Amino acid sequence: MKKKVLSLLLTGCLAVSMLAGCGSTASTGSDAAPAADTTTTTTDSASTEAPAAQEEAAPAEEENLTATQQIIKEAEGMTLEELAQKAIEESNGATFYGVGNSSRGKSALPLFIEYLQSIDPSYTMEFEWQQPKNNKIFEQLTADSLKPTGTFAMTLIQDGNQIESKMVQQGILDTFIPKDWAEANGTTPDAYEGYLPLQTLNKVFMYNCTGDAVYDNCWDFVGEGVHALYMDIDSEIVGKNFLYMLTEDKYASWLKDAFDALPAEEQAYFQPTIDQMATDASDLGLGENGKYALAWIKLWVESYNAQTDDGPICNTLVTASATDQAGLLVYSKLRSVEESADVSLNNIKVAAYQDGYTGIGGYGYCHYLFVTENSPLPWTACAFIAYMTCTEDGFSAWGKDMGGYSANPTVATAIETTYNHSKGGCDESGNVLYDCKNDRGYDWWTTTGELVLEDPKYCESVSFTVGSWIEVLTKYTGAEE
Amino acid sequence: MPPASKSRIRINQIRTFFSKPQNVILLLFGIVVTFTTIAPIVAIIQDTFKIHPGTIDAHLTGQSDGYSVVNYTDLFTSRLAKTNLWTPILNTVLLAVLTCLISILFGGLMAFLVTRTNMKFKKYLSSIFIFPYIMPQWTLAVVWQNLFNSNQITGTSNGLLASLFNVMMPLWWCKGLFPSAVVLGLHYAPFAYIMIGGIFRNMDANLEEAATILDTPKWKIMFRVTLPMVKPAILSTILLVFGSAMGSYPVPHYLGLTTLSTKYVSLNSKYTGEASILAIIMMIFGILILGFNQMSLKSRKSYTTVTGKSGQISKINLGKAGKYVIAVVLIVFTFFTSIFPIISFAIETFLPNPGDYSFLYTMDASHMTTKWWMSRDNADSTMYGQYGILFNKTIWHAFRGTMLVSVVCAVVAGTIGTLIGYAVSKNRRSKWANYVNNMAFLPYLMPSLAVGAAYFILFSNDRVNLFNTYLLLIIVGTVKYIPFASRSALNSMLQLSGEIEEAAIIQDISWFKRMVRIIIPIQKSSIISGYLLPFMTCLRELSLFLLLCTQGFILSTTLDYFDEMGLYAFSSAINLILIVTILICNTLVNKLTGASLDEGIGGK
Repeated sequence: MKKKVLSLLLTGCLAVSMLAGCGSTASTGSDAAPAADTTTTTTDSASTEAPAAQEEAAPAEEENLTATQQIIKEAEGMTLEELAQKAIEESNGATFYGVGNSSRGKSALPLFIEYLQSIDPSYTMEFEWQQPKNNKIFEQLTADSLKPTGTFAMTLIQDGNQIESKMVQQGILDTFIPKDWAEANGTTPDAYEGYLPLQTLNKVFMYNCTGDAVYDNCWDFVGEGVHALYMDIDSEIVGKNFLYMLTEDKYASWLKDAFDALPAEEQAYFQPTIDQMATDASDLGLGENGKYALAWIKLWVESYNAQTDDGPICNTLVTASATDQAGLLVYSKLRSVEESADVSLNNIKVAAYQDGYTGIGGYGYCHYLFVTENSPLPWTACAFIAYMTCTEDGFSAWGKDMGGYSANPTVATAIETTYNHSKGGCDESGNVLYDCKNDRGYDWWTTTGELVLEDPKYCESVSFTVGSWIEVLTKYTGAEE
Repeated sequence: MPPASKSRIRINQIRTFFSKPQNVILLLFGIVVTFTTIAPIVAIIQDTFKIHPGTIDAHLTGQSDGYSVVNYTDLFTSRLAKTNLWTPILNTVLLAVLTCLISILFGGLMAFLVTRTNMKFKKYLSSIFIFPYIMPQWTLAVVWQNLFNSNQITGTSNGLLASLFNVMMPLWWCKGLFPSAVVLGLHYAPFAYIMIGGIFRNMDANLEEAATILDTPKWKIMFRVTLPMVKPAILSTILLVFGSAMGSYPVPHYLGLTTLSTKYVSLNSKYTGEASILAIIMMIFGILILGFNQMSLKSRKSYTTVTGKSGQISKINLGKAGKYVIAVVLIVFTFFTSIFPIISFAIETFLPNPGDYSFLYTMDASHMTTKWWMSRDNADSTMYGQYGILFNKTIWHAFRGTMLVSVVCAVVAGTIGTLIGYAVSKNRRSKWANYVNNMAFLPYLMPSLAVGAAYFILFSNDRVNLFNTYLLLIIVGTVKYIPFASRSALNSMLQLSGEIEEAAIIQDISWFKRMVRIIIPIQKSSIISGYLLPFMTCLRELSLFLLLCTQGFILSTTLDYFDEMGLYAFSSAINLILIVTILICNTLVNKLTGASLDEGIGGK
């Protein structure tokens, strides 16, 4: 009660100041056309498919479309070559601004310009690619959306939860589905429902193998005394989405299956926490295995050792002195490790690659591509998006490294042929030097590897139920050690 | 002669008022600093009531726009109040208090030894002591981690101490309040050194000598005579350091302490409005400090014993051995706070992997590499997609950006601050002058992160959208750093007798000429430090600019990006670039004008 009175008093005091500043309120576009819903990813097929399922979508009423949406609609009926022609007409001599969570947009843009120059040698375009950190991309796009014509032509963005609630539902971003991409996925732009993924990235469980610790079940990463390294869920929000996704029925049942596979003495350690979670799972409206998910999440949040980025986690785990340490980190980080007396890729093991490993192997999330609703160069944005998602060259900025899987099956095949990531840890004779670098690919990870896949809509739906429940948990600080 | 009409008298009064340049300056900058200080505060207060789509306020109200008090009720009364509010406040206050304590003890002791004793190697120690202030504050935090982390205690790979000597420091030493306060204390100790040292150097030694003649014990002289005389400098240090430590984001972030600043950043995505309340709380602390400053200024009258005119400073004799022993102890200590970080930055740029010191155990130089400097191939998988430092366009673009922002901020803030200092000194009894002086000083007392947050909100709307522009950084930097120049100018102008300028006025010399030919040359040293300090601070400022631009825009955000990503070769190289730049600038200014940061304390 005292706190309520205090907060009301504070509110009263500050209200006076507020009157001076509340002259204008910028509406966040609540009258903008809502974007299409997203759907749960299908992962039980062995074929390489788009990470978002395709369902029949109701065609949008053309008269309700904004100018950008009309361009997108028209662009969705064009091939890449036709789009390139439009881009050349629109942006010759102009400056293109893009913003993304991946710095590699900067590498892809010069290739795109070269491609346009192969059609029209006189074509020129300046560009600037920005990569905000600390979740600033959403603030940046929101601020830019307030202008009649924005600065940014397009974005490459992660975190389906915030994309759904802060961007798409507010009409700030529009989805463009390239015709060629849709065809490669056996669908059409009209029929496809969901965001356009450029690629799926995976964060996978790894551990330092210089000691004798055993990690043969995903519950081992939340076992007694284990403090796996993980990016703080408050600094990389997409990491929180992983925890949200665990409560979805499919993944909760994976956790239950993994629990059932544990030896009795290990089950006995986890069982009290699982039982304790039953009421919360029911209160949060989760399915029958929700208590397993909540128990794992609770143990994880209360035990993981927060780090600033996946880079330092990787640097730690490959060091000889990090004996028995484990972590959940972006798989592609392994690409940059250089062998030395103290550091080796043979100091680390990918848990899911080990014989007898049971349970989830990691977490997959997408980099999505969008055209901004107030894009200054919408045709060029569409052409660039089509170039990245439909050509090997366009995806090469990401595809040259392991651990990033194109959402276009044709491109994915071409990338594997060129870069041979499945043998990335072998020498020229085919001898395995570093097993952890032999990327088993998207199909393996989403089936045998039990990769938990982000579903933006599900994350958004539980962010204030499961999300608030997670926030109440006490994060590990090492204080009790 | 007919009596003048009221309107004529009024016009004459106005004409007389505006004929004095100090009045014009005060009126003009009074309006400017009122806007630049009040507008962002109003904007951030408004933001606390605003409903933000996709965040807790939208969820709790069921609306996607409009206004509500729900952010206040939720922050103060929800189950998360302890986690999101009370614990960060407690940690922030503890951090600020401990930082003040450490910086005053360390800086004050150093100042005492340099100015009041016959300790050896003063010139070297005086120069080297300010290095931690030159370096970005969190770089010491990264060095701390590289030194003390261990697999056994922090659950990471071993740091140098654990690797080489198998020494495992306890957790409280490696993470949390203690290391954060020590790192910030060391960073701000040069503040205390410069301020306290300035008084020690100029203080009248007659009182101490009188006490000595009366056979007063030395400890009693220290506590009853010397310390009260440096009390104003200690208070000034507290004023400057408390707000700065409160608003520090990177140090507690790297060393795992939850403060209002780190909480602001972590809450901002889902609890945007509540994060703004945290920024307001930080600002309230700034306003409280300003009030404290006002009180202390009033009470200072009662112990103004520093005349600045005594030429007989008695130096304590530390003894034949003592003057060397103490100097050597300080040389060793400052080696770890000032030299070792630079050496470790340099070494880091030659390691094959970040933090991989295997060449030390193997004594094999082949375990070192020049790739981080020389590589022209960003497709090389071991380069993390980056070009070598010498060919890295991102780093050099950021360097140019930093130089632009720093130079413009220094010139604008230095000039405005000097003019305000001059005008206030001329109208020192005017309430308006006092108001302008305080308004200009307030942004400095407000935590940097809160000021940055407020300006982000102020300039991110449909009419003015300045995010990620140098203009925004220059505006914010200028507002934040005007106090450096205004305080420095005010203090020096107060020492100037009015007669000097009056003599020039009688000879009908224009104001501009008076300033350029008389005032500025006399107080050259103080005025230049009013330009130099904003420049240096701006070069490695992060907390203030963190929310206002992307990485790659200026060096500090680029450095922070590389540090967060664990690419220590690049962040270390940027540190070296910053340090070399500051040293070159400091030397240049010193050679050209004779002014430098530690001038007059022990360096000269």
